[in-house]
Amino acid sequence: MSQQPSSLLHQELRKCFRVLEANQNIWKSVLAECTPLMSSLGNLAEQLRALKNVELVNTPLAQFPDLKERLQYKLIQAIDTVLGKLSEKMYALQLVRDSISKQLLAVVQQYEQKADSLDIHSCTTRSAISPSVADMLEWFQDAERYYRVQYIQRKNLLQILKPDELVFMETAPKRWATLDSPRGEENISDVLHQVSFFMSSD
Amino acid sequence: MHLIVCHLKLEVQLYKYSETTTPARKGNLTGSARKLKDNAADWHNLILKWDRLNEEGSSVAAKIVNSKISKESLKEHDVLMEGDHLSVAPSLVHQNSQELQAECTNLQNIVNKMAHILSKMEKMVSAGRGMCELEKFQYGAKGRPAPLFQTWSMQQFAEVSSRLYDVYKQELALKQTILQELAHTTNMDLSMVYLSSWLYQPYIEDSSKLLLESLLIETGHRAL
Repeated sequence: MSQQPSSLLHQELRKCFRVLEANQNIWKSVLAECTPLMSSLGNLAEQLRALKNVELVNTPLAQFPDLKERLQYKLIQAIDTVLGKLSEKMYALQLVRDSISKQLLAVVQQYEQKADSLDIHSCTTRSAISPSVADMLEWFQDAERYYRVQYIQRKNLLQILKPDELVFMETAPKRWATLDSPRGEENISDVLHQVSFFMSSD
Repeated sequence: MHLIVCHLKLEVQLYKYSETTTPARKGNLTGSARKLKDNAADWHNLILKWDRLNEEGSSVAAKIVNSKISKESLKEHDVLMEGDHLSVAPSLVHQNSQELQAECTNLQNIVNKMAHILSKMEKMVSAGRGMCELEKFQYGAKGRPAPLFQTWSMQQFAEVSSRLYDVYKQELALKQTILQELAHTTNMDLSMVYLSSWLYQPYIEDSSKLLLESLLIETGHRAL
């Protein structure tokens, strides 16, 4: 009788790690696509700032009417395009976060439903091929938190960008890069390695 | 400094006469209509060529600025080394100057090609004016009773041509100025402005793109 609830929980946990595995790759590839976009954003900000610094009247470009305004318009338009593409990428990251969060909710619900019939021993014992239920729940929770925090941080960085704060926009690519967490990614990969036998012991 | 090309490229399909007009339809068009339709295709192709040259020139211009920067830093290096009687740096400066010269010639060629495109555009504008004259001669001041294609009068075709021409004429003047000044400025911000002016073509507005599209739709190159 006691076997039944834990095997259901095991099934749900397997599903968790399958979701995690699939989304880890999506996350990585979307982030990789963001890097060139961020650097062109920084570059455009640099161009816009250079334009603001130059007094065109004192240069050979003085003869061209409304050049400053026109160029400014073009650069801002280009920034808009890049930001538009970035927000598409953010949406893709949000989907990753959402599917992992949803899966966490499902597994926790499953656990809470079965909690009464699960004794502490069956939740904390591990075997040669399977980590304990408690460990796996914790790992998955950690992974979910990692993506949730990463998403918020990156989203926040993009939201506080303003066209009139060019210095901030210029440094945005660096800030974006500092959000990278090799440790966090490594943890996810470690978890996936640790559950690999468990996953294949379906 | 690296200028990253993130130019909004209008995704356009290359039109050639053979692709756009079936032989049967080609036979149907004669006189001014034929000429107008061919001109519209020419506008499209010339602008496409222009855009390609623009991208090409943009990366050459960025190279010029970059090599200018490294030349400046080599010069400084040279001054520092003078006390130690080292002669390595001057040869490096020389090599760098040659590279700079080569890139400038490269950019010059690109501007020349653009000037050639502009001269073709100018011919189309004068052809447009000629067709207006012809129409006046044939049908009087009111022009022909029914439009040649959808709705545009001959006058409108001529206007579109000359407006497009003005835009590209201004752009060419800007590019010629950039070509002359790019390798001679030591002001980093100004170099940057030259580069972005080259790439983003400030005188080509969205409305110019709209004009071209309208021209293509009117003459039936683009399906509605």
